[in-house]
Amino acid sequence: MVILRRLRWALLLLPLLVPLITSNEYIVHSVLVKACVYAIVVAGLDLVVGYNGDVSVGHAGLFAVGAYTAAILMTKLGMSYWLALPLAVALTALVGVGLGIPSLRLQGPYLAVTTIAFGMIIQTFINESVWLTEGSQGIQNIPALRLPGGLDFEGNHLFYLAYPVMMLALIAAHRVVRSYWGRAFLALKANPIAAECSGVNRYRYKVSAFVLSAAFAGLAGALFVHIDKYVGPTTFSLQLSILFLIALIFGGLRSIAGNVIGAVLVVVLPDVFNRFADYQLLVFGLLLLATLYLLPGGLVSLWHVATTAMARRSSAVPPVVDRSRARSGVPRDGPPAIVPPTAGAGNEALLETEELTIAFGGLVAVNKLRLSLRRGEVRALIGPNGSGKSTTVNLLSGVYRPTSGHVKFAGHILDRAKPNDVSQAGIARTFQNPALFGEMSILENVLVGLHHTFRVGLIGIVLHTPGARREEARAVARARALLELVDLDAIADHRADSIAYGQQRRLEIARALAQDPRLILLDEPAAGLTSGEIDELQHLVEVMRDAGIAVLLIEHHMDFVMAVSDRVTVLDFGQQIAEGTPAEVQRDERVIRAYLGTEEPLDATTEGGARA
Amino acid sequence: MSDLAQLILSGVALGMIYALLAFGYSVTFSTSRTINFAQGEFLMVGALVGLAMETKLHLPYLGATVGAAIAGVFLGLLLEYAAIRRALRTGSTATWILATVALGIILRNAAERIWGTDDLPFPAPFGSDPLIVGGVRILPQEILVIVVAALIMGALELFRRRSAYGKAITAVAADKDAAALMGINVGRVMTLSFVISSVLAAVAGVLVAPLTLVSPTMGTLLGTKAYAVAIIGGLQSGVGGVVGGLLLGLTEQFTARYISTGFKDTPGFVLLILILLVKPSGLFGKRTVRKV
Repeated sequence: MVILRRLRWALLLLPLLVPLITSNEYIVHSVLVKACVYAIVVAGLDLVVGYNGDVSVGHAGLFAVGAYTAAILMTKLGMSYWLALPLAVALTALVGVGLGIPSLRLQGPYLAVTTIAFGMIIQTFINESVWLTEGSQGIQNIPALRLPGGLDFEGNHLFYLAYPVMMLALIAAHRVVRSYWGRAFLALKANPIAAECSGVNRYRYKVSAFVLSAAFAGLAGALFVHIDKYVGPTTFSLQLSILFLIALIFGGLRSIAGNVIGAVLVVVLPDVFNRFADYQLLVFGLLLLATLYLLPGGLVSLWHVATTAMARRSSAVPPVVDRSRARSGVPRDGPPAIVPPTAGAGNEALLETEELTIAFGGLVAVNKLRLSLRRGEVRALIGPNGSGKSTTVNLLSGVYRPTSGHVKFAGHILDRAKPNDVSQAGIARTFQNPALFGEMSILENVLVGLHHTFRVGLIGIVLHTPGARREEARAVARARALLELVDLDAIADHRADSIAYGQQRRLEIARALAQDPRLILLDEPAAGLTSGEIDELQHLVEVMRDAGIAVLLIEHHMDFVMAVSDRVTVLDFGQQIAEGTPAEVQRDERVIRAYLGTEEPLDATTEGGARA
Repeated sequence: MSDLAQLILSGVALGMIYALLAFGYSVTFSTSRTINFAQGEFLMVGALVGLAMETKLHLPYLGATVGAAIAGVFLGLLLEYAAIRRALRTGSTATWILATVALGIILRNAAERIWGTDDLPFPAPFGSDPLIVGGVRILPQEILVIVVAALIMGALELFRRRSAYGKAITAVAADKDAAALMGINVGRVMTLSFVISSVLAAVAGVLVAPLTLVSPTMGTLLGTKAYAVAIIGGLQSGVGGVVGGLLLGLTEQFTARYISTGFKDTPGFVLLILILLVKPSGLFGKRTVRKV
């Protein structure tokens, strides 16, 4: 196996032999080198489109920044290419920062709009700044690329530079998307709020992805100058930006092979169908539409279809599921599933809200709520529908901002904190409707919850340092332990959108526990569960409490509430109407009136919720 | 002084064209959370169809406008069917953006094959001789653009607020599911919003054509600036589009006059970035509460 893996790496070097086999200028110089350059842009674009679900229609502009920077530094300042290249990448990345920061603040089609505009402005800038860019004439006297010892990268030899650079860029992209960065991207794309509540900083990762993508475009641009030894403004049109997008979609999103295939095709196709040059955009437009609807996975998806069909034929044995293992929170080997939070001062409140209020227009959904929880306390928050329970969870988790009042948690003031800061502070949550990252595996969903455990930076990820590998291995082991705790370890590799409802709920709990919370907010965890599953849930809540994690439980299922809660708070119309032990609350007249509207005592078996 | 008045008039006329396009974006964005990245090409098709009506069928300007509007209806239906409805079904934002971009390049290439790539003149209905009023040279077409655009947008705003269909659009914008439960045919309302938006673009094409020249590439820049205008004004706000349009039209005229004609296309981008940094929801945008 090891030998095979080594061989696979050697295979990647095979294309380097092509210039030895053929000296055909068209194949090597015009097609292969250009395809390498385009593949770098497309792989970078994939980070934005494929992994983040945003669209940039201005990558030709970023490509232009890289190309012109390299060309200007070499021709105007006489700088060596080997210095101009990294500077071109850095400047393009900087431009990416300038574009990404304003465009990615809000969710919506903003990035597409700013990048289209940027692509046009760059062309205007190039045309107008004749002193710098030679205007519409373009920069022509780009020096030959020679190495000491008589070697050069001229003509077909340029492939010996372009191909290795492309390989390195693709490997870097591959490592990024396989790391916790890639998981953060996909989680944000699938469900931004759930990702933020799992501790991922949306804005930072969105901007980072775009900046990284810009750096790729800059690198490609700096290589591009040597293809024609010329850069001119007409190359970097809106059409080229669209061409990059077509290459990406046509080849297949989120696939390195797809990126390369797409790049080769957009380089080759216009030449092959030379006769239809006048209809090129029409054909490309139709091709793009057809791919989007008929083959959304792009050309590589055909390969996946073929291989999975073959795999299905060869192995039809279902995986063995071992149900005998006791679920005690401590697996037999590996790390413990739950890391008990460090104990604070004994009886001091962990969470305290003061006059917490939120109004939507005229409707006061939560009104001057005072709520306090101690370490390891299980507190239920109950009340009829529309009484403000879920709104409270959204306030405490940073999804909503209070109109007035405060949230104090373990010494932090969290009134204005973003969901990812709240998660960092030690409050994790689940959602009333399970909010999982559907296209990701069950294991990856939990790994997103472990986002906060990663320290390694981008450079460590790209270089695949031992530290980075150790960190990843540690997180995977921990995630498996958590999955064992919630009895999902046997199906860890299944997609999260393929599992049953009760399993989704347990996966959410595992993801929340992965955040090492001191307080966990469970928003109707028993809804839709069978009675057997509710028993398991009760066991899980007890495991959390025993580990010293405080639990705020929103629930309608009264048996369950009364069985696990230390204290119960009752809300009605956004206000607290009662507070006490389960037994006290059940006898409280106002509670009975809120639930039933009669003087009858509250029956512990009532599945409350509906206001009578 | 007369120089300044002329600048302002031209700026307002240009701004009203942007406003018409941006108004179209706001209608479709509110119902479907999408905007049409081929809107500039729709404007171009409107102008070219209008020109064909005038030169081939010898229809008067009004007839050309009606012809363009009918073309707009078909474009709107095509857009909704080919690029929006199917794309929204995939559940990915990228799909509708890319699908409308694809539609744009298809239309541009098709127009090039039908009408050629040359810039064609479009005769102005009231002539292209300026009227001199108090020393100010006024192009009759500029007045026409301002008046007609204002009437169209006023009428649409009334339609949106008063008529049952207009209220249905507002309802769908506020909450699709609730609107559907109230018996509103959400699909039809969305189609209607795309037809309205596309007709606006096509009519804007006939309006702007006598001031510029007509060619298959005329729409790209106008459309792009109108996206900027829509965001500057606030994507869901009709009024925002008008204010944003006027702001951009005037800024461009002043930039061209006092800085450099070469940079007359840059203020849109600069204003866009500034507004996104300062108030990302736009001048007239409201912060929306995220629902969990």
